[in-house]
Amino acid sequence: MKNQRLPYWLTLGVAIVFLFMHAPLMVLVLFSFNDSKFSMEWKGFTTKWYERLAERQDILDGLYSSLTVGLASTVIATVLGTLMALALARHEFRGRRAMEALLYVPIVTPEIVVGISLLILFMAAHFPLGLGSITVAHVAFNISFVAVVVHARLQGMDRNLEEAAMILGADEITAFFRVTVPQLWPGILSGAMLAFTMSFDDYVITSFVAGTDAATLPMVVYTMVKKNIEPSVNAISTVVLIATTILIFVADRAGREKPLTAEKAPVE
Amino acid sequence: MTARQRFLRFFHERPQLKAWALLAPGLTWLVVFFIVPLVLMLGYSFMPRNVYGGVDFGFTLENYGRFFDPLYLKIVLKTTLYALGCTAVCLLLGFPVAYAIARGGRFRNFLIFLVMLPFWTSFLVRMYAMMFLMRDSGLINKTLMDAGVIETGFEMLSTPFAVLTGLVFGFLPFMVLPIYASLEKLDHALLEAASVLGAPPAKRFFRVTLPLSMPGVVAGSLLVFIPALGSFLTSDVLGGAKEILVGNLVQNQFTSARDWPFGSAASFVMMTLVLGAVTLYLRVRDADEAMGK
Amino acid sequence: MKRKDADREFRGFLEGRVDRRDFVRRLLAAGASVTSVAALLEACSGGSKEPPKPAATPSAAPTQAASAAATQAASAAPSSAPAPASLSDLPEIEKELHIANWSDYIAEDTVSKFEKESGIKVKYSTYESNEEMMSKLQVGQAGYDIVVPTGYIVTVLAAQKLLFPLRKQYLPNFKNVAGLFVNPEFDPDNAMGVPWQWGTTGIAYRSDKVNPPPDSWGVFLDAKYKGKMTQMDDLRDTVGAWLKFRGKSLNSTDAADLEQAKKDAIAAKANLKAYVSAPVKGQLVAGDVWIAQLWNGDTAQAKVEEAKIEYVLPKEGAGIWTDSLVIPANAPHKRAAHEFMNFILRPEIAAGISEFTGYGTPVQPAMALMKNPVPYPSDEERKRLEYQKDLGAAAQAWDKLWTEIKSA
Repeated sequence: MKNQRLPYWLTLGVAIVFLFMHAPLMVLVLFSFNDSKFSMEWKGFTTKWYERLAERQDILDGLYSSLTVGLASTVIATVLGTLMALALARHEFRGRRAMEALLYVPIVTPEIVVGISLLILFMAAHFPLGLGSITVAHVAFNISFVAVVVHARLQGMDRNLEEAAMILGADEITAFFRVTVPQLWPGILSGAMLAFTMSFDDYVITSFVAGTDAATLPMVVYTMVKKNIEPSVNAISTVVLIATTILIFVADRAGREKPLTAEKAPVE
Repeated sequence: MTARQRFLRFFHERPQLKAWALLAPGLTWLVVFFIVPLVLMLGYSFMPRNVYGGVDFGFTLENYGRFFDPLYLKIVLKTTLYALGCTAVCLLLGFPVAYAIARGGRFRNFLIFLVMLPFWTSFLVRMYAMMFLMRDSGLINKTLMDAGVIETGFEMLSTPFAVLTGLVFGFLPFMVLPIYASLEKLDHALLEAASVLGAPPAKRFFRVTLPLSMPGVVAGSLLVFIPALGSFLTSDVLGGAKEILVGNLVQNQFTSARDWPFGSAASFVMMTLVLGAVTLYLRVRDADEAMGK
Repeated sequence: MKRKDADREFRGFLEGRVDRRDFVRRLLAAGASVTSVAALLEACSGGSKEPPKPAATPSAAPTQAASAAATQAASAAPSSAPAPASLSDLPEIEKELHIANWSDYIAEDTVSKFEKESGIKVKYSTYESNEEMMSKLQVGQAGYDIVVPTGYIVTVLAAQKLLFPLRKQYLPNFKNVAGLFVNPEFDPDNAMGVPWQWGTTGIAYRSDKVNPPPDSWGVFLDAKYKGKMTQMDDLRDTVGAWLKFRGKSLNSTDAADLEQAKKDAIAAKANLKAYVSAPVKGQLVAGDVWIAQLWNGDTAQAKVEEAKIEYVLPKEGAGIWTDSLVIPANAPHKRAAHEFMNFILRPEIAAGISEFTGYGTPVQPAMALMKNPVPYPSDEERKRLEYQKDLGAAAQAWDKLWTEIKSA
């Protein structure tokens, strides 16, 4: 679109919306350094809420669980999702439309329905609840997101390189790993990042399938929010916020050529 | 011929099989851990309740019949209204933002980053942040009182306003991103043609920009409507748990009420609303594509 | 239906040969759904640690087949079948123990003291709700040796045959339990559980803002404190309070009683800021809330932050609850679990736990060892206190009532 100047009222309006989107988070971060347990008055700078975090075993355990589940589910979902995307983008087969429809089911199903229906399955099947069941659940909702993101990337991809490689004598497997994967890498990586963040942030589905052994970080945060309102919650939220910001940067670097968002929007 | 060559040749000769081989692992996972659970849940919704959780064997339509009780109809209606209201507000706020970003020039990437930041932040943390601001002794009231605008703090938390604000705050990025994506793809030539033909800016916007961004608008609306419909944390955290939405109803059935079949039925009522929205989306999209051709 | 048949059925379904509805009906009717799906899951997930439980035997009544509870019963180990007449001895003390308890609900040194003294290695997990814990037991997953359900949940678990009857011969310290907690209604003869902590559900208020102090549930009907009051986000507690207000049992299933309670609850709702349970503590301290329905222990925790918070048991009566230590039927270390139970019934250990949690100890001799013990209710107060019982089939009617209140 042309870079005409926006009317000032529009700029102002947009600035207010941006403020609405970010002010709550900024305040949250600010007050994680406030030296008062309950008051909204500024009583001085402190890092004691952060120190308190480091003492809490449940937070460290939660972080460990979240990272484990996040990594495992991301790897599985990325591999499976990428394969599905390849099939959809590169092959004509019967049942294709049905397959595409199936891919959208996890994207449009409300989280609470996903969580509860999985719990029903796990209970009926006597599937042990814990990190394993959480990972299974996260893979289930992440495959689709990865597949959609990678699929979008594949559609815009030039096949000439691959064909050139094949003409030059590479067989299909070699061409795939040497040409297709490197070309596709930004798409795969942004799909993986999306999957990891969704896994790392999920509370609703996880809370249904977690049982009692495993508490991921969002579950620990939820408990803290529910139990008491003290600035430790602000501190842990700040940490999570910064961690995800770093992730976005990494993801953005990986997907440089194209803005990440264009691939992100799942229903586009 | 090596095993590798035989392997490649085998699949090369059977392209259908190759496609299915690529699909199989992901497909199996989706079916077993997504479709089967939904089917089980559908099955449960037609069975009588077991007093201690779970279901008894049998067939009944009663769980769905209960939704004709005005009490539950009202809940479904209220939830739908909240979701629609949230979608409308998001559209109203999100479109200008997407429009501004699309025309944001060199700030574009930074603005996208700003939109995405809350999007990648835990929903829970954002709800908490909102609560932090809206409490009686929260920052908004405190600032207003210190500034002498008001004498006593007014009640924001635990009102429908708080719930709606929370929902909008939570899902706004879902609206902005798809609209931005479709605005970005907009054909400049069309706008210039309109301009050359003497269309004033407002007319250009309503006759060219808006219709062409429809796919993004509809996709964004869908992405906001669906999670808003299923949300239950927002009304608990920001609404003071004074209202029951379908999400809360479902949750209660699987916890305190131990009425799994009714909870399953409620889930499927919710899914029906979602499917309705998706069907509408597909209609619009297909109509749009037909028009494009 | 054998597993093989189920698998064939399943494949038929996947390949579209079997009609979906037909498939589900057949699978569920057979009751073998459990194994076939489990086998499939196992195949997909690279094998879970635990082999699938044997499914309900073919002879099992079809009514039980689909119920998680019933399958659980069928798969429980023979040794755990309730044998009230002769509670046999257990083998020697195991070297491990896995406890799952509510979070922040034990003294920091209790477990380490126990480990040091007994040489038993303890694994300690926490949870946040009875449902979370129940779903784990209903899945049939072995692993826990001790869990801590609230009052009537013991009844529910016992009814599902998910609990192991206690062997009292290993619990000599049970003699320390105060009379109030012996033979509770929800667990006759303490057959399944040892009391852990107890508390009441009354009213917490800010003495600097509320005058005169409230003494009745009726305070929530007083528009004077509109917007500054909360009741608990729990139907049993809130509806229970309004039943008490009219002098009824908080376990009532009588339609007229419930109708009146609903009217009162709706009238009070107009004055309430929110339905909120434990998190109200912060708002009490901050002064956002002046009057809150709350547990005595949580009030005590809030009082540490703000001295002007007081607690009252309403004159019409209130709820009392006890959380119990119980042993799941499939616990791998049952004897060690008894050791732990006996350990926490010691006065000095029990005192340490309650000092930390702020709740009352059921161990009578521990009272003398504590700085600020929660006193046992007087005889007069006891008459006003009532335990919650499981509502059974009436839970549905109660839930509808709660939905009506919230939708009003």
